[in-house]
Amino acid sequence: MDRESFIHLTKPAAAGSTTASPLQVVICAQALFAILDHSLRRSPDQERVIGTLLGVRSEDGSEIEIRNCFAVGHNESQEQVEVDMDYHKQMYNLHLKANPKEVLVGWYATSPELNTFSALIQNFYASNGDGTHPHPAVHLTVSSNPGKDITCRTYISSSVGTTADRAADSCLFVPVPYEIKYADTERNALESLSLGKAAPDRQVSNIVDIHSLEAGIIELLEMVNRVSNYVSQVLVGDYFATPCRKRALTYCLQAGETPPSVAIGQALLNTLNLAPKVDAPELEKLFNTHLQDVLLVSYLANTIRTQIDLSNKLASAVGTIAAPPKTDHKRQQRERD
Amino acid sequence: MADISTIKSVRVDALVALRIVKHATGVYPTTVYGSLLGMEVDGVLQITNAFPFPTSAEGDDSGSSALTPKNKGVMWYQNEMIKCLREVNVDANNVGWYQSSTLGNFINSNFIENQAHYQSQMNERTVALVYDSTRSAQGGLAIKAYRLTPQFMVAYKENKFSSENLIKHNLTYKDILQEVPLTLYNSHLAVSLLHQLSIPPQAPSNLPVSVSSLTNPPTYPQPNFPVSTNFNALDLTIDPVLEKSCDLILESIEAHNTEANNAAYYQRSLAREQAKITAWQQKRKTENSVRAAQKLPPLPEDEWQKLFKLPQEPSRLDSLLISRQVEQYARQVDGITATSSAKLFALNGGIPRF
Repeated sequence: MDRESFIHLTKPAAAGSTTASPLQVVICAQALFAILDHSLRRSPDQERVIGTLLGVRSEDGSEIEIRNCFAVGHNESQEQVEVDMDYHKQMYNLHLKANPKEVLVGWYATSPELNTFSALIQNFYASNGDGTHPHPAVHLTVSSNPGKDITCRTYISSSVGTTADRAADSCLFVPVPYEIKYADTERNALESLSLGKAAPDRQVSNIVDIHSLEAGIIELLEMVNRVSNYVSQVLVGDYFATPCRKRALTYCLQAGETPPSVAIGQALLNTLNLAPKVDAPELEKLFNTHLQDVLLVSYLANTIRTQIDLSNKLASAVGTIAAPPKTDHKRQQRERD
Repeated sequence: MADISTIKSVRVDALVALRIVKHATGVYPTTVYGSLLGMEVDGVLQITNAFPFPTSAEGDDSGSSALTPKNKGVMWYQNEMIKCLREVNVDANNVGWYQSSTLGNFINSNFIENQAHYQSQMNERTVALVYDSTRSAQGGLAIKAYRLTPQFMVAYKENKFSSENLIKHNLTYKDILQEVPLTLYNSHLAVSLLHQLSIPPQAPSNLPVSVSSLTNPPTYPQPNFPVSTNFNALDLTIDPVLEKSCDLILESIEAHNTEANNAAYYQRSLAREQAKITAWQQKRKTENSVRAAQKLPPLPEDEWQKLFKLPQEPSRLDSLLISRQVEQYARQVDGITATSSAKLFALNGGIPRF
């Protein structure tokens, strides 16, 4: 995802200032999917929809992890905005019951635009009572325009000096950096989901282990190819032909050739050294024992299945349950030991 | 019960899959439960939203049972949540529930009760999604959809699982659950996001300075980790998984053993009682023939029903479930060994020999 770059200058801490220095925002993939789903389900006349972000705050409050979110109904017209605050409170309470650790951290909107209403809503979410005060509220915008990239922006707000009557609907949105993160299992799930990203019906059916194995091997081969390409490119280059290394490097870069790197070479060598040095018969033996173990377990599992089947058939036929598969039991235990 | 065959397949939205994964991973290895929302279109059950059940239901401290969908507090929570979600245009129909499991250890009376509750109370067209956290950790996404078969539902409603009844309904352990084919579905926006997430990061323009900068990627500004293949599937250490599976199978066999012993005990006592009855009947008959010779009225011959009590047949449900569970494990082991032996052969071919 593309992102704008910005620079943060740490302000001298003003007395009584509550908005801390910029924080790091981590967005869980699941929350993004939920926001997109909500965006799909908006009424046709709604420009954007909003919702509450839930998550976990690090102890010092400098990092916020957005883990979950829920939609909140709102009405926006030229002159005014209505957000269903009762609904927000009710949903928040319901969510707290299921996930007591996930607290209110901010809100999202499905358009990149920031306007007066944004400021108004932001001030509510950052407010003292029901809001995130004294921590800053995070505002996440996710643009979901068809045909364009989905872009996320995260902001926190800081107050601006205006007259008292305008203070409620004005604030300064300060962009903060964010990161999209997924846990290992989430990653597996996303990977399975992405199998369908190129399919015309956008579906993935019959997810089997062997698919992820295949994908893994293909990717691995690609990586090996990339590395070997790099190495051969370095080798054909003129770098080693020139005695003066420094001049050679400049020359390489000018000629558009791949410059060599000591670090990459070292890393490659380290990796290659990881290959175990075992002699062939030993390896053969190890391999065969392991394979036999695996096959034996599979065989036993199948035997057990047959036994259970048989036992049930007998049970219904005679009304007596046949002797349980005791022999298997013992063999299995022996095998595992 | 009229539209039994209506659900031909289940379509799970990306959001639902991720919600379940997140919920299950958060509290692993505790079993988690949650509700599924969606609707049924032309025989395809589209599951479009999900939410977790509260960890402890309000006003109910009955321990572990507080989590299951049948619980009153949970029912209340579910209804409240659905009411709320309806307001934001979510498909507000309850179409089932989900639970997490480890290595397929989900077939027990609890699961059956819950699903039976859904299939009888709500409507016929509900499913249970089972997410296997342990298998998913090895790569892929192990979500399966299950329903109770119509035969089983009939038998369950009668609440009698005697041998006789099982034969009447033609019910074996294989007919308890039926697996519904499941597809994962991405919305257009989700596809767009997935494409964006899988764009590989730009190769750094300058060369790495040292080996440590290569091994510790954070030194490179890497804004978003792309959704690339992770290599869990290539992991060769399958032993722990197999061992755990074997343990679970053994446990189930143990339970099966107990059930078998119960049944054998019942058979023995039944045979004993029946032998006693026959003896009594014989005695009565001889008595009666003696009385007939003496011209006395015969004694009633059906008095044994009052004198002897036949033992009650234990319910066969547990034994059925255990059998089904063992079958589940066995199939799973089969699946695991199939992939891992393929991996082993590949490895054997690939390791350089010195």
